[in-house]
Amino acid sequence: MSGWESVLTSGIVLGSLYALMASGLTLVWSTLGIFNFMHGVLMTVGAYLAWQFAVDRGFGLGLGLGIVLAVVCLVALGCLVEILLIRPFYGRKDLVQVTVMTTLAGLTFLENSTLLIWGPRLKQLPPVVEGQFRLLGLTMSNQEALIVLLSPLILLALWVFLRFTRVGNAIRAVGQNRESAQLMGLNVQALFMTTFALATVLAGLAGVLLGSIRFITPTLGSDPLTKALIVSIFGGLGSVGGSIGAAYVVGMLEATSVFAFGLYWTPSILFVVMIVVLIFRPNGLFGRQS
Amino acid sequence: MSAAPPILETHQLTGGYGKVQVLRGISIAVGEGERVGLFGPNGHGKTTLLKTISGLMRPWGGSIRFRGQAIERSSPGVIVGLGLIHVPQGNTLFPELTVQETLELGAFTPRVRANKAQNLERAFALFPRLAERRRQLCKTLSGGERQMVSISVGLMCEPRLLILDEPTLGLAPKVKDELCEAIGVISGGGVSLLLVEQDIEFLLALTDRLFMVDHGEVTREVRSETGLDHAQIMDLYFGVEARQ
Repeated sequence: MSGWESVLTSGIVLGSLYALMASGLTLVWSTLGIFNFMHGVLMTVGAYLAWQFAVDRGFGLGLGLGIVLAVVCLVALGCLVEILLIRPFYGRKDLVQVTVMTTLAGLTFLENSTLLIWGPRLKQLPPVVEGQFRLLGLTMSNQEALIVLLSPLILLALWVFLRFTRVGNAIRAVGQNRESAQLMGLNVQALFMTTFALATVLAGLAGVLLGSIRFITPTLGSDPLTKALIVSIFGGLGSVGGSIGAAYVVGMLEATSVFAFGLYWTPSILFVVMIVVLIFRPNGLFGRQS
Repeated sequence: MSAAPPILETHQLTGGYGKVQVLRGISIAVGEGERVGLFGPNGHGKTTLLKTISGLMRPWGGSIRFRGQAIERSSPGVIVGLGLIHVPQGNTLFPELTVQETLELGAFTPRVRANKAQNLERAFALFPRLAERRRQLCKTLSGGERQMVSISVGLMCEPRLLILDEPTLGLAPKVKDELCEAIGVISGGGVSLLLVEQDIEFLLALTDRLFMVDHGEVTREVRSETGLDHAQIMDLYFGVEARQ
């Protein structure tokens, strides 16, 4: 297998994970109007929770039930974070700045909590499927293939929810015009909490997927958070569809750069590309002129 | 004062933004089935009054009663549920939602959810143009069409009292006539009306009674049937009576 083939497979895998991360980040930005620095650590917590429920050294409930229980805990955690760190500041003019501080504080708190609870030893989730397969000259482990397939399915479910359900439409409406939404009797606070819980689950699922191909550490989510930030700016802030497209572009770019220039230069190269793109397309790669 | 029992009554209502007081003790009443207008110079508290009534802003003092129930501490959602519907100024709506999606969201509160299909048909019957544009995004609509959507959203909530804040702002005369007729049909169906409007002809055509709001106070109350005409209203606007 030549190097470029592995670039392609690793690019697609990274892109799938970034798409999951960035969609949640963008959903919170476009609905609540805040940037959530906890998104990465919520991903880490998702991976640890699934590990705790699933593996024999934890509660040993098996991977399927483990993931389900992790999702339930993530919903509760998402609601709690929204109530404690974001809700007290709605309606303030400096909401964005204040929540940058509160979510950064939450990030530090949760990151150190995971270290206290689960310790510094590396952990890994068992793969759902073993082995590898070849397709069109590409070699991929079955676990990676699962990520590549599962991630678009989760995003499709998100799209169907936002586009075709009553609550999904209400979430989009609240993001576009809060006052009109209130005057139609929509419960803005409940919708904000739902949105934040949904984004937390998306982050946690990304963590579960990543936790099976990388080691779980308390800082598992910090690099994906940076990438998700690049992706959502790249995709035109606030557009979930744009973020998903941009996620695959950034994933490919990263894989190419790692192969061609090495791991150390890759973060700088990503930021340079982002800056160049924003010079020529200030609204992002897929953003519309406004 | 109207003979019918009031559907909406504010008493000595005060309020504002931050430290700036805008409402300085406003007492108005709207009778059941009555059509009341508010007029007065811009920036003197009409929109603030409406926002305070519909629960978007907390009043500083005074009381608001809707159908006998105190609502000055209620959330907008509860107030919508009671049937007090406020169509805000500027018809901003939801740019990225289609007409149909927007109207269906209008039926979000449990009280009216079951009647969604029926109310949608009623809105489309009133504004046939919206039926043609039901799959279009709101941002692609003209100003008049957007105002029609705003009013229709109000109808989806089955209003007992409909509050309209400058519905004709920036619209062509032909569209104004169309809206005037539609609002007449709505109030003819038994819905009480509280209308803020700068277009005096529009206001006189649709209301029985007018309050003039000036510096956050009601300075004049006039009945339309006393034959108040355009010139007299303009005099009130520009303070001719102050010279008397």
